[in-house]
Amino acid sequence: MKKLNNVMNGQLMRELGIVIVFAVILAILMILSPNAFARPANLMNIFKQASINGILAMGMMFVIISGGIDLSVGSIVALTGVVAASFAHPGEYPLIVPVILAVSIGLLIGWFNGLGIAYGKIPPFIVTLGMMTIIRGAALIVSGGAPVFGVTDEFEAIAGAFLFDKIPLLVVYFITITILSAYILTKTVFGRRVYAIGGNEISAAFSGIKVEKVRIMVYMISGMLAGFAGLLLASRTVSGIPTAGQSYELDAIAAVIIGGVSMSGGSGKWYGTVIGALLIAVIGNGLDILNVSSHYQLVIKGAIIIVAVLLDVKGKEKTT
Amino acid sequence: MSVPILEMKNIDKSFSGVKVLNDVQLTVYPGEVHALMGENGAGKSTLMNILMGVHSADKGEILLNGTKIVNSSPKEAMENSISMIHQELNPVLDMDVSENIFLGREIKKGTSGIFSHVNRKQMRKETQELFDSIGIDISPSSLMRNLSVAQSQLVEIIKAISISARIVIMDEPTSAITDKEVEILFEQIRRLKEKGVAVIYISHKMEEIFSIADSITVLRDGQYIATDKASSLDRDKLIKLMVGRELTEIFPKSEAAIGDVVMRVEKYSYEPKVKNVSFELRKGEILGIAGLVGAGRSELVEALFGVHKSAKGSLSINGKEVQINHTGDAISNKIALITEDRKQTGLNLNASIEDNITIVSLDQLFPHGIINNQKESAVVDESIIKFGVKAASKKNRVNSLSGGNQQKVVIAKWLLTEPEIIIMDEPTRGIDVGAKRDIYLLIGDLVKSGKSVLMISSEIQEIMGVADRILVMAEGRITGSLERKDFSQEKIMYYASQFNRGNENEETE
Amino acid sequence: MRKVVLIVLVIMLVMSTAVFAGGKKESDVDKYALMMSHMTNSFTITLSNAVKAAAEELGVELVVFDGGQDVSKQISQVESAINQGYAGILIEPASVDGIKPAVTAANKAGVPLVTINQRITNQELAKAFVGVEHVEGGEIEMKYAVKAIGGKGKIAFLLGPLGSDAQIGRTKGYYNVLKDYPEIEVVYEQSANWRTDEALKLAENWLQTGVELSAIVANNDGMAMGALKAVEDAKKLDQIKIFGLDATADALAAVAEGRLSATVSQSTEAQGLAAMEALVKLVNGEEVPAEIMVGHTLITKENVADFQ
Repeated sequence: MKKLNNVMNGQLMRELGIVIVFAVILAILMILSPNAFARPANLMNIFKQASINGILAMGMMFVIISGGIDLSVGSIVALTGVVAASFAHPGEYPLIVPVILAVSIGLLIGWFNGLGIAYGKIPPFIVTLGMMTIIRGAALIVSGGAPVFGVTDEFEAIAGAFLFDKIPLLVVYFITITILSAYILTKTVFGRRVYAIGGNEISAAFSGIKVEKVRIMVYMISGMLAGFAGLLLASRTVSGIPTAGQSYELDAIAAVIIGGVSMSGGSGKWYGTVIGALLIAVIGNGLDILNVSSHYQLVIKGAIIIVAVLLDVKGKEKTT
Repeated sequence: MSVPILEMKNIDKSFSGVKVLNDVQLTVYPGEVHALMGENGAGKSTLMNILMGVHSADKGEILLNGTKIVNSSPKEAMENSISMIHQELNPVLDMDVSENIFLGREIKKGTSGIFSHVNRKQMRKETQELFDSIGIDISPSSLMRNLSVAQSQLVEIIKAISISARIVIMDEPTSAITDKEVEILFEQIRRLKEKGVAVIYISHKMEEIFSIADSITVLRDGQYIATDKASSLDRDKLIKLMVGRELTEIFPKSEAAIGDVVMRVEKYSYEPKVKNVSFELRKGEILGIAGLVGAGRSELVEALFGVHKSAKGSLSINGKEVQINHTGDAISNKIALITEDRKQTGLNLNASIEDNITIVSLDQLFPHGIINNQKESAVVDESIIKFGVKAASKKNRVNSLSGGNQQKVVIAKWLLTEPEIIIMDEPTRGIDVGAKRDIYLLIGDLVKSGKSVLMISSEIQEIMGVADRILVMAEGRITGSLERKDFSQEKIMYYASQFNRGNENEETE
Repeated sequence: MRKVVLIVLVIMLVMSTAVFAGGKKESDVDKYALMMSHMTNSFTITLSNAVKAAAEELGVELVVFDGGQDVSKQISQVESAINQGYAGILIEPASVDGIKPAVTAANKAGVPLVTINQRITNQELAKAFVGVEHVEGGEIEMKYAVKAIGGKGKIAFLLGPLGSDAQIGRTKGYYNVLKDYPEIEVVYEQSANWRTDEALKLAENWLQTGVELSAIVANNDGMAMGALKAVEDAKKLDQIKIFGLDATADALAAVAEGRLSATVSQSTEAQGLAAMEALVKLVNGEEVPAEIMVGHTLITKENVADFQ
């Protein structure tokens, strides 16, 4: 019995370390700001603000578990946002056109990333770094350097509307994508293979896994979700801004890492990533409400990322 | 003898609630070679890791020359003049030989401090002197990456010796080196003895133990069993102590009916490692592939398995020619490859035992791509019992297992695919007598049930004991084929050294 | 082998630059350079277009360079322009301090250099400055905001990147006006770095605190549009008025629809024209004042049609 307890504690600590950090931060903010932060409406607001980063983080999670990194997602957000907004002027195209365009452009860029990494054998950091710059340039070219305005109300409603008048659609998308990602990652053969190639690419290849194909798929997922996030951001800000999405890739990576996914690949859980994305939004929201200067916010955010990962690492050390 | 140089007393250690050492003792005298014996999982590595400060003991004490010491890190152990040559080598691949030898204690130019320059020339010179004095032919300036496993093992040994240690731990130092190199090693060990250095020697090779060891301590299942003079033990007594039962036969050869040809390999090449290889494998047959390290045996089976895309040749299964462009093609043709290197090619150490066991069979088990956890769990439980994997939970990560248990996971993983042709590359490398016997029995069961086994082994005794037929390779070619009735060590060695071009200075092979 | 290839490549590179640099001007028309700090928002695009139009009108050739928000890149662009024999240089500096070496180099070579929109720290080294008083812009925006909310209430500021010229000037303008209105309280003052999405998030969070805001005053229109979206989503546009600055196309549309209360034009076209004219005069040896200021214009629903 005692043995079992020990195992359980270790396991719990390892799996839930980040949950505890999250709970502590939540509790602190609730104490500091009981009337504003802790209101249900604000909690929904946090969820909404976590959504776009959360969707990017879901894609990034696949990439990082597979042992890679995708730096191009921020630029993809800008490009697909600009393209979507350009095709969303009143009286031009049906709403489905910008939606399909945004998602498929993201998918296509992801496919290129994957090709370069899987068949070109170029390190992911370099391929996606190059792609980040190329796509940022493309966003500026497509938009002529200036934001694209004048979108339809329907386009604005993609991110702006509510389900049952209460739940922002952004949150609905985030939850849906999370459920799908979690399902793919934990319940499908493909998901298992993502872990396998991230854990040991060579043994995966020896085990009959087509490593290249899995890799390409992973970057396509990330690209596609970034394309969708670009659509959502353009809808949310009612404009396609070519400079939007800068450093979004870093927030997505931060969410994944805070969530306990190892940068070296092969391990990590989907709910960690959700908590990571929520944690980042909670910190931003809480500090805004407490009226902390945005410059201090950067410092606090960075420190929390490091501390969260530190606690996670320490928690894991205890058990292995 | 005089005062013991090392005493480890009443050592206890548990990992995640599982007791791996229980009241273990070890007493070592200066100038002796003390063999530490036991099956895999007996606790030898853990005991040595405690001595090296990698783990801390839950209970017990360590006395060095009668003084109590606490090694909380390998660095401290080294400062206490204890050094260890690991079984799994971890050299810095992109540094040269001399830099590896002097790693952490580089010879500096001028002032000390982190900004002082490393004196590479001096390090290479001293390394060369060291090598010359021992008679090793490796250039101090070659990159570790370019050395063979045997060569890096030698470098690792020299490194340990060059630190003026009073206790040197050698964990399976000969698992990857040739007989000639073993001789060099033993010579070094004798030299160390003369200087009063104590050597703790871990090996599964009985011949070695009896030729080099003075005393033997046996552990079994984390318990201390006995310590005795090597001269008062023999092979059978030692095995009995280790396994806890008599081994009637080391190589239990079971006779299976040999049938039709199941696999025909024709003119297979993977330049420059494998050249124009042709052979046949029959149903129920155990075909051994013998040869020296670097003969191209692993490359041949990897090429057959679809690992190397540039390999050429034709392969027929049951009379039908098949195209194998990828490992997946080999698997769907019911071929399994149990590789030599568990860390690199065999397992995903980060993943659980369960995930490792099912990874190759996922398509077979779940043809729609959706995993049914209950079914997976049941299949894994069955495998764990069948192959005797010892683990607290199947959800535990594979790297928490001992080498022998890891090997069982690899075998479980591949046999779950229900292959007809099982290729095993050095299946008993680095595992103990009991586990070896389990594998021989398993091979026997496999062929009895009509499957075919292609087995690479560098241990001539083993391959002669297990195989029905032996192919011998040298420099990528098959140089000989022997039927069981013609097996002899001399013939195998003769074929294994049939070098066509006669250039023997190909060191990297 | 590799070294040889490298050396050959370097030689080819050097020769090719020599060839291009040595190329004589084909036309007799003077060539002018416009160095933009970046080309990634409405303001910089509008400004460069305005300068281009002015150059056409004056019959001179103009080449626009994009500094990519990188001062070292901008310095090398200025240096190449000097070497290539440009007659004069207009610069919208990427950094008010860091650009000094470029300005010194232009002076040394005798190429007139005029700064536009932003003063540099060593403004005396340049021949002239054409721009707006950011303080004035802030004052115009704030004066209208004060009037619109009836001289009292709680307000919030959305600021540009702290320390930028425009942020400092415009915010100073706000406080110059607020001195006379003790009943107005600034409850929030945060930077959203000119960005719409950051301003949107920030405004959403402010709205969660339950503080009754009367106005959100933004340093630029991009941030004002983000705040507008947040306030509209919260259905509070009847309580909270939004004010911007820059007169971007979407802001003008929002003013026309009565959603954005006001924006302020910093007369970007006029800045471009004045700068180009001043530079041509300098090249032709005429005198121009060291500071040429262009005025701001308030844009509300009443006069927005004139700007669209």
